[in-house]
Amino acid sequence: MTATLEVGPVQRARLSAEVTLASRILVPSWPLETFIAVNPLGGLVDRPFSEAIAVAESALGARGTLDEVAFREAHAAGRITDSDLRLTLRRLRPDLIDGAPVSVGGASMSLEDLLVAELHNGEPGPAPLRTSLTRSERANTAVAAAVDAQTIKWCSAFLDAGQSAWPMPGRELGFHPAWRQLARRDRSLPSGVRERLREIPERPEDAALQALSSLGVGPDEHRAQFEAHLVSLPGWAAHVRWRGEHSTGIDLVDYLALRLTYEAVLLAEAGYDPDSRPAATPCPAAPTPGERAVTLARALGVGTIGAVELAPIEEALAGVTVDERRLLWLAAYEGHHRDALLESMARPADALAAARPEAQLVCCIDVRSEGLRRHLESLGPYETLGFAGFFAVAIRFSDVAGGASSALCPVLLAPTNDISELAAPGAQAMVDRNLAGRNALAGAEDGFHHAKDDVLGPFALAEASGWAAAPLAASKTLLAGPYGLLRGRLKRSAAPPAPTDLTVQEGFTLEERGLFGEVALTMMGLTEGFARLVVLCGHGSTTENNPYASSLDCGACGGNRGAPNARVACVILNEPAVRDHLATRGIHIPQDTWFIGAEHDTATDQVAIFDRHLIPETHREELESLAADLERAGEGLSVERGLILPGSRSGRPSRVIARRVRARSTDWAQVFPEWGLAGNAAFIVGPRAMTQGLDLQRRAFLHSYEAAVDVDAGALETILTAPLVVAQWINAQYYFSTVDPAVFGAGTKTVHNVVGGIGVMAGHDGDLQMGLPWQSVADGDRLVHEPMRLLAIVQAPLERIAAIVDRNTILQHFFNNGWVSLAAREGFEDVWQRHTPHGWEPWTTGEERER
Amino acid sequence: MSRDGLTRMTKFEVVVSGADAQAVRQVFKAAGATGFTSLSGVSGLGHDGYHQGRLLFNDQAALELLISVVPDEQADALLAGLRPLLDEVPGVMFLSETYVSRPEYFV
Repeated sequence: MTATLEVGPVQRARLSAEVTLASRILVPSWPLETFIAVNPLGGLVDRPFSEAIAVAESALGARGTLDEVAFREAHAAGRITDSDLRLTLRRLRPDLIDGAPVSVGGASMSLEDLLVAELHNGEPGPAPLRTSLTRSERANTAVAAAVDAQTIKWCSAFLDAGQSAWPMPGRELGFHPAWRQLARRDRSLPSGVRERLREIPERPEDAALQALSSLGVGPDEHRAQFEAHLVSLPGWAAHVRWRGEHSTGIDLVDYLALRLTYEAVLLAEAGYDPDSRPAATPCPAAPTPGERAVTLARALGVGTIGAVELAPIEEALAGVTVDERRLLWLAAYEGHHRDALLESMARPADALAAARPEAQLVCCIDVRSEGLRRHLESLGPYETLGFAGFFAVAIRFSDVAGGASSALCPVLLAPTNDISELAAPGAQAMVDRNLAGRNALAGAEDGFHHAKDDVLGPFALAEASGWAAAPLAASKTLLAGPYGLLRGRLKRSAAPPAPTDLTVQEGFTLEERGLFGEVALTMMGLTEGFARLVVLCGHGSTTENNPYASSLDCGACGGNRGAPNARVACVILNEPAVRDHLATRGIHIPQDTWFIGAEHDTATDQVAIFDRHLIPETHREELESLAADLERAGEGLSVERGLILPGSRSGRPSRVIARRVRARSTDWAQVFPEWGLAGNAAFIVGPRAMTQGLDLQRRAFLHSYEAAVDVDAGALETILTAPLVVAQWINAQYYFSTVDPAVFGAGTKTVHNVVGGIGVMAGHDGDLQMGLPWQSVADGDRLVHEPMRLLAIVQAPLERIAAIVDRNTILQHFFNNGWVSLAAREGFEDVWQRHTPHGWEPWTTGEERER
Repeated sequence: MSRDGLTRMTKFEVVVSGADAQAVRQVFKAAGATGFTSLSGVSGLGHDGYHQGRLLFNDQAALELLISVVPDEQADALLAGLRPLLDEVPGVMFLSETYVSRPEYFV
């Protein structure tokens, strides 16, 4: 390092702001054990979508849409039609098609025809290239690689969540002090470098500023260099950003101080001249309008074309860039799906024949619930509703085993109430036996894994259990279904279920419980017409050997299973004092209505019902009937899913298909346990009559809402500012993981290595993977997830929706910047309206389509 | 009003969305401020229209008011961090002189 730089509070404060602003290119990335779907470009939602993806393409070298080749293949397959393209041009770029026809080879062509022809035939633009580069990436790539290697080494050591046997010395001091003490003793570095590392300043801000000075980076370039270092390993930086927001001893200033310090000392050791300005990599250029005009003329069969004829073609094409063409394709791709979806909801479903439903099932808004609801409704007079799966109780939950508690609520919230699970009265012995059995099973499994990881253990393990390990592994792989059944039986035998209660009265005051009941029921529009049984059904997913298991659990429960929230909500809604309060608010729950907690396992489509010991005798027979129908509904859903999961074969009996789907849940080699939320495309807010009877193919988030009972618009405002936000994050995570799996996704599962319980790397080193694995969105080359931005569909008075948008910046960003589209109508008799920054416009008329 | 026995200092009040509040707190810390007060769920009318106060299920989108009091000589450091931040992050900043009875708490 060079002579010590004078650094004071002014420089440190400015650096803090610059790091924050530079980090907006990345969003915090959660640890894998509570995987939270996020919009990877969430820091850019205050910009138009087109601008945000342009920034990402330049800064990250990431693609922001499918490429034109993929869109053209979708057109060839009928997924996009010329009618969709023309409608898109008329809606988004009427200025381009409002002009005199042009002559192409002597034939007259309308501007609309010309632009559609270019969409089909234009030369695709170059692949995006990252232009945000560090000094070492420009001047000495070996040093850049060494900086990355040091970053990965020290971050892995510090962030390790118990996977390694030897923790990083001094870890309790925080990242910068611990690294500062150890770096100078790192024998893998030359002695000259180690000597320079002795001069690392005590404060990370000072270390970063000193390194920047050594590198010859002036104050005007600080932010650009911060960004370049962040996007060099975006997965690690995004995770450190999350760590910094959760006070875990490391933040982005620490991270950048390390990277810049190594860059400065290694470049200095390599003789780098800080006054040099290494040239930036030139970006490949997109074809000019003139070149595009020639290409188009040739594609239209015109061999030679004169300058006079070429000029108006060139002028017409110049109105849209090559990059904008992809956005037009995207809008047409989305429009095709959206128009059909809205048209399918033109009329309400027939009302239930029975005056009082047999039972009501309230599921999470998760798209997978739509399948369960549809199948159950087909079996009898059941009513189903959708609500965020944390059921409005933001809790920190400790189960009866007493392990670490979990925050069971959307990450937009901090948990407000602590809930513990205890043995039910008189059931302590049963709970003790359950726990002993679980501990014995877990201990055997842990012991096996620890023995494998130990230095000498594997030798002893091979002697002691090698004879059994191989057949066991073979049966887990080849006989996953029977193995799973066997293990389930073993678990039930060793750890039979035991009744437990939840500390709801201790965790919530009566006032809170009353308020919760009112809010939850009003938000879901269930304020009258209660059935005798109302099931609040959370969800989770049981999979084996799957680092991404939590990505399949409930997003509204912070990437955890949702049963505890459903159980808590039921305890509250069954409480007489709460019902008395609700009656004063106009919500009269009949005395014979009983709320029951349940959980849908989305890998097996089986529904577990909880707290049976609390259910009144008078309701048991109905409950068994409902449970049987849930079993049938789940089996029907498994068959439906089985037909689209990889490796399925048609023509098999339904029972076999369902059994094979369920076997995936216990197959440790299965990379496609379920499709999760792949396909998600819409968020529908309104009564079930809008969608009942439609097969939405598990592609829509369904949130129940009755505008008539939401007089102050509070429920709709909450739905649009919370569940919609979570749905948008999920949608964007699937979207970007599909359009650029290398940067925004997690690549293929088959080469994943779990790092310290915090994430996965592809291979043995490299960047932490940010998004979803390829096997979550595609099967080989076939996309299973169609990357479309979310469409929000709301049935409510338009003025009410507009007023909510006007007072919530996040919604203005979503709807006005093109991240989410909004279609709305007041009632069934009204036509769909499109929300625009200038007001409501009719969605799509038949006339426009036919024109 | 008598200010005898009180010490003059500079007060910063910053209103930003909950999602950006952490960045403001980091600037306070980097600039050497010894503490701050934050009020979440504030509402009001600004040049972009009315801003909703507390949202039921979203702490990040609601506005937060952060207050820090520093000796006058530290004000430049806070300004050096807050001004570039607020050039790009939606929010407002108020700076005013204030008087405290226990100056040692703020140094």
